[in-house]
Amino acid sequence: MKILIAVSSKKYSKPTLSVGMNVARAFKASTTIVDVGKKINEFSMKDVMMVQERVENWNIDRPGVDVLEWAFGYLAKNNFIEKNDIEAGFPKNTLVDTGSNRSEVYLKGTVCDNVNLIIRNGNVIDELKDEVQKFFYDVTIIGGSQRGNISHDLIQYIDSSIFVVNNFDLNKKYKILIAVNDSPNNRKAIKYGVRIAQAFGASVEAITVSKTNHFGEGYKKAVKWCKKLLRRSNISFNHKFLTGDASSVINKEAGDNRIIVMGSSTKNPLLKFIAGSKPLEVMKNCNCPILIVK
Amino acid sequence: MAFLSNKAISEILYWVTRKKWLIISFILSISLFYFPSPEGLSSEGHRTLIIVMIVLILIISESIPLPAVAILILIMQVILGVDTPDGVASTFMSDAVFFIMGSLMLAVSIVSQGLDKRLALGIINITGNKTWRISVGFISVSAFLSSFIGEHTVAAMMLPVALSLIKNAGLPLDKSTQLSSLLLFSIAYGCVMGSIGTPSGGGRNVIMLGYLSEFGYGNISYVKWMLYTYPILLLEIPLASLVLWFSFTPKQRHLDSAIRKLKVNVAKSGKLDANQIIAIFLFIMVFLGWIFLSPLIGLGIVALSGVFLYLVFGLIDWKEISHNTNWGVILLFGAAISLGIQMKETGAALWVAEKALINLEVVFQDVTIVRWFVSVFLTSVLTNLLSNAATVAVMGPIVLDMGGDPMILGITTSVASAFGYLTIVASPTCMIIHSTGLINSRDYLKAGWKLFFISIVLLLLVSYLYWPLLR
Repeated sequence: MKILIAVSSKKYSKPTLSVGMNVARAFKASTTIVDVGKKINEFSMKDVMMVQERVENWNIDRPGVDVLEWAFGYLAKNNFIEKNDIEAGFPKNTLVDTGSNRSEVYLKGTVCDNVNLIIRNGNVIDELKDEVQKFFYDVTIIGGSQRGNISHDLIQYIDSSIFVVNNFDLNKKYKILIAVNDSPNNRKAIKYGVRIAQAFGASVEAITVSKTNHFGEGYKKAVKWCKKLLRRSNISFNHKFLTGDASSVINKEAGDNRIIVMGSSTKNPLLKFIAGSKPLEVMKNCNCPILIVK
Repeated sequence: MAFLSNKAISEILYWVTRKKWLIISFILSISLFYFPSPEGLSSEGHRTLIIVMIVLILIISESIPLPAVAILILIMQVILGVDTPDGVASTFMSDAVFFIMGSLMLAVSIVSQGLDKRLALGIINITGNKTWRISVGFISVSAFLSSFIGEHTVAAMMLPVALSLIKNAGLPLDKSTQLSSLLLFSIAYGCVMGSIGTPSGGGRNVIMLGYLSEFGYGNISYVKWMLYTYPILLLEIPLASLVLWFSFTPKQRHLDSAIRKLKVNVAKSGKLDANQIIAIFLFIMVFLGWIFLSPLIGLGIVALSGVFLYLVFGLIDWKEISHNTNWGVILLFGAAISLGIQMKETGAALWVAEKALINLEVVFQDVTIVRWFVSVFLTSVLTNLLSNAATVAVMGPIVLDMGGDPMILGITTSVASAFGYLTIVASPTCMIIHSTGLINSRDYLKAGWKLFFISIVLLLLVSYLYWPLLR
């Protein structure tokens, strides 16, 4: 299991990093924390690199290093990395340029194999897509402030599950809201929901939404399987059958104190591109963290 | 689509959304190709203008890498029958391209010598600790130095000094402040203004000189260029200082402790070493070469001679030059100049110039104003969208075919292409200060629009009142 956590600043990314590392702990996942910096115009790419080298000669860090140093501090404080690494301090001198505007530092993890810290420069979607494609991540975790207009591109183009840490309050107790249906990705979504519930010590609310009062066999089977798994995992839960438009019902049920977990749409990407999808609708309008499982 | 997996469809959609401007330019070019050539324009000229349009779209949209745009220009010239492969090859390489290549390599060679700490000491010894004097010092030194060497070279040496002052003043390096904006814009705008000062100040000046010579309008010597442009530069320094100070007035009126810490830091680096002395000496030789030898052997060959000497004296190794030189930009400018020459050869430039004159004369009633409008206003707008050298490469042939005095119009266009105050992409220095994370895009407009109009008015006044005295 590999997790990618996208952070952007010390000020706004603490909830993302905190949630991300808790998820990483739940899955014992190898984790990478990435800061995607500003896109550099191609005309000036080499000039900027040359300037950054000079600036580093004056013991001034280039943009992004301070964010990674802050992330290192968080990992150290919460013992996510080995004692040797913590004692050695943030190894900014070993930030290796791996090409394609990407620099990386390796740390030995405690709850997971390793924790890498990387800086990339460019368009957020392009950089995350490239990172996921090259290094095969299972889940990409990103802050809600970065959600803005990129929800569509995140769901459409990033080839991993997407966890948007939207409006997450570190002091609030969250429940996990799992949307149960008969879609092919739903079993995986339920499994992820269970692991996250365990990581956060949270109870689960499972809901099944249909446009009409009729709930087909597929839905009923999915609910049965979900309940069985939750019981086996010793997680306190309840389940409701609800009627209405799925995206509005899910958002209404979620409010601002649930973490929504749902499977991604398996519709043809061209149709999703043109007409959108339920997960996209939920993500655009929700007021709480959401995990879309692919 | 049934035979494609969802993942494949998703990849195709991603490619299409990212390359939409490439697709649009491709469709446009095919449609325009089958359109009959407009009256008065040869079919070769018609095809050349199609290539120009595609290139502008692709550079502004950044939908494909710059070297790919350069290669496309060369391919399309041959495929569309604008010229033969040998003809395209011969227009691709010129002294202007040698100069761009040489100055980029020289920049790497000079910057790697670590002269920035010497420079820092020199500046603060003159300016003292008052913030406004430091800002004026940054603008003046950046403008002076970048009038002789590439602006990115100067920015690379000046930026650590500014960041060090900001850090030593106890300000964060991850958040924009008035002081950081003042100091960083002092460097960026100083460099941009300075680049008009001599032909070697910017690749675009050499491109324009190349066009003037290629199109048979004669040569301008290094010193004569300075006589034309240096007064503008000298007048701009105090004006820019005032505009920047009042746009980004910082709380910190003195930087005593920051200056003290900077001096301590610089003192640690010791005295100039032998390599640094040789590096400075060689650069002075290159500078003298530009003044005295360039009429005989060209600015580009002088710049390349400098690179040769830096390599021979072991001041830099080839690996470092090769790694830090932007070969894509060299390819692009070579290809853009080649396209500019084809615009002239096929009559495309003349056709565009005539159309501009006819249509704009209706608006302005006076052909002199029309020429000025195109060479100054359109150039300075385009430079903020494209890049200064690419703007001159495209606008040069059109402006030189508009009648009037080609020398004056050529220099005016080159100077106006330096008015890239408004956007991040306008010049390498604007992008360099943006890359620090301390400058927001809207900050460029805050002071930029004032300097943009001041510079235009200044150019107008100097070209009408002072330049006639030089004829």
